[in-house]
Amino acid sequence: MLREIKNGVFLFYLLASSVLILLPLAHILFSVSANGLPVLMSRGMEFLTSTLPGPNKPGGGIFPAIFGTFTMVFLSSLIGIPLAILAGVFIAEYPKSIISNLARPLMLIMLEFPTILVGLFVMVVVVIPMGTFSAIAGAIALAIIMLPYVTTYTEQAMRTVPESYKEGAYALGLKKARVVFAITMRLARKGILTGMLIGMAKVAGETAPLIFTAGIAWRSIGGINEPTGAIPLWIYYLVQQPYANYHEMAWGAAFILMLIFLAVFLPVRLMMVRS
Amino acid sequence: MDRFKILLLPSVSLAFGILLLMLITFFLNSWPIFEREGLAIYTSNIWRASEIPEEEFYGILAAIYGTVYTSLIAILIATPISIGLAVFVVDIAPRKIRELIVISTDIMAGLPTILYGIWGIFVLAPILSNFMVFLHDSFPFIPLFSYRNPTGYSFLTAGILLAIMVTPFATALIREAYAAIPPIYREGAHSLALTRYEATKLLLGYIKPAILAGILLAFGRAVGETVAVSLVIGNSFNIHPSLFAPGYTISSLIANQFGNAFAYSYMPHALFAAGLALFFIGLAVNLAGVLVLRRWRYA
Repeated sequence: MLREIKNGVFLFYLLASSVLILLPLAHILFSVSANGLPVLMSRGMEFLTSTLPGPNKPGGGIFPAIFGTFTMVFLSSLIGIPLAILAGVFIAEYPKSIISNLARPLMLIMLEFPTILVGLFVMVVVVIPMGTFSAIAGAIALAIIMLPYVTTYTEQAMRTVPESYKEGAYALGLKKARVVFAITMRLARKGILTGMLIGMAKVAGETAPLIFTAGIAWRSIGGINEPTGAIPLWIYYLVQQPYANYHEMAWGAAFILMLIFLAVFLPVRLMMVRS
Repeated sequence: MDRFKILLLPSVSLAFGILLLMLITFFLNSWPIFEREGLAIYTSNIWRASEIPEEEFYGILAAIYGTVYTSLIAILIATPISIGLAVFVVDIAPRKIRELIVISTDIMAGLPTILYGIWGIFVLAPILSNFMVFLHDSFPFIPLFSYRNPTGYSFLTAGILLAIMVTPFATALIREAYAAIPPIYREGAHSLALTRYEATKLLLGYIKPAILAGILLAFGRAVGETVAVSLVIGNSFNIHPSLFAPGYTISSLIANQFGNAFAYSYMPHALFAAGLALFFIGLAVNLAGVLVLRRWRYA
């Protein structure tokens, strides 16, 4: 009898854990939609194409933030992805070398590393010498954060390619570089692409590393050597303002950010389930 | 060594180089504060900014306290939930529900942290503040509830928000390990006619190291999280036992103070020293997690 009661309590605990974890997610997605969608609906395209209004003024939009996010994600991909893929290739192709054995835990540590410290670091080595916050400084910080994601996915994808394919290529007399780029990477392209997209989705939502690198821009867009806004940065600053219209804009921006994240993440994740 | 390996080498070395360069940068930039205050930067709770350099003094003990406090709250909540969730997904949930839960937790793990932040400041904190006022008024003599006039911005709010954010990471690790237990153990447990509870208790015993690793990595994440925490913790230098008191964490201190730090002579150095502490706490916890995981996988 006691055993059965214990078992019943245990089953309840299992069910409760699942509900307890899904509840906040549902509530977050619901809150962001319920508060953000009306803002978007009432302002229409203006919300995407115009800039920050004054405090307690009607209208306005988040264009500089959207522009900044796309610019920095693009630049950081340009810097980070090639390096990360090459690093992933190294670890996959020379799995037993000392460097690879050290690099694997290093990637895990970089994945977990406090991102605010990356921002502080880039501020010292890029922002201070340049004398200004800039999109390129923000992008460098994001590239460092993206690195471990893309490296890990590339390595894992390349290791799923069967040895026999590579042996076949070697038997034809191909050089190692040819085998890697023409055979292994082509066969592993889906996994590598997944890593790239996950890395990009991840950095698009980063806030902390941008605070001291990208600076902020509210009413203008500039070159890559000038301060820039980003959607997460805008939300971070707007919620700390005392004005109701800024809070509305923050919710609207949060809704856009959520859509961008889900639009990249969900298809990638569902593709992974199928394969 | 072949040429291909040498060509690839710089890209891998870069990751090591960045970590090393970061460490050097933080050391060099925090040096002046160590020279001036010694370890008092970590052991005192004073934050005196002044235009006159002689009068400046900085101690970040409150932020270290807040970091440990909030992260502990987070893993105290996250651990039982992530174990329960892992067992539910592997043993009980039908396939459709299992996929739904796994994808949902993956979304939670990747969701931009600022979305947790805006939800925390506008939704969670107001809800919690009602509970806090009620608990304080009913049991003011319990130290955990002892903070007067709770506003909702507190250690507890930050801890709960962090728990929500780190549970997906802990549960993914535990789930993976739990699912990888050889079927023969499961069959053995069932052939002894054990109840679900008894069998699970036995099986969880086999993956203790994975559970520990999950908790450590979750703790490491909680320690490093910045923006969501800085929006709900109240940002004040406070070493108070109450869950309802506002405070600081190291990362929220940096996010909050660095913007105006350059107006003072020593404040930037104090904040780099704070960063250095965060660097080592994060590194130690994550390294411990990675090592536990590695030893267990090889065993």
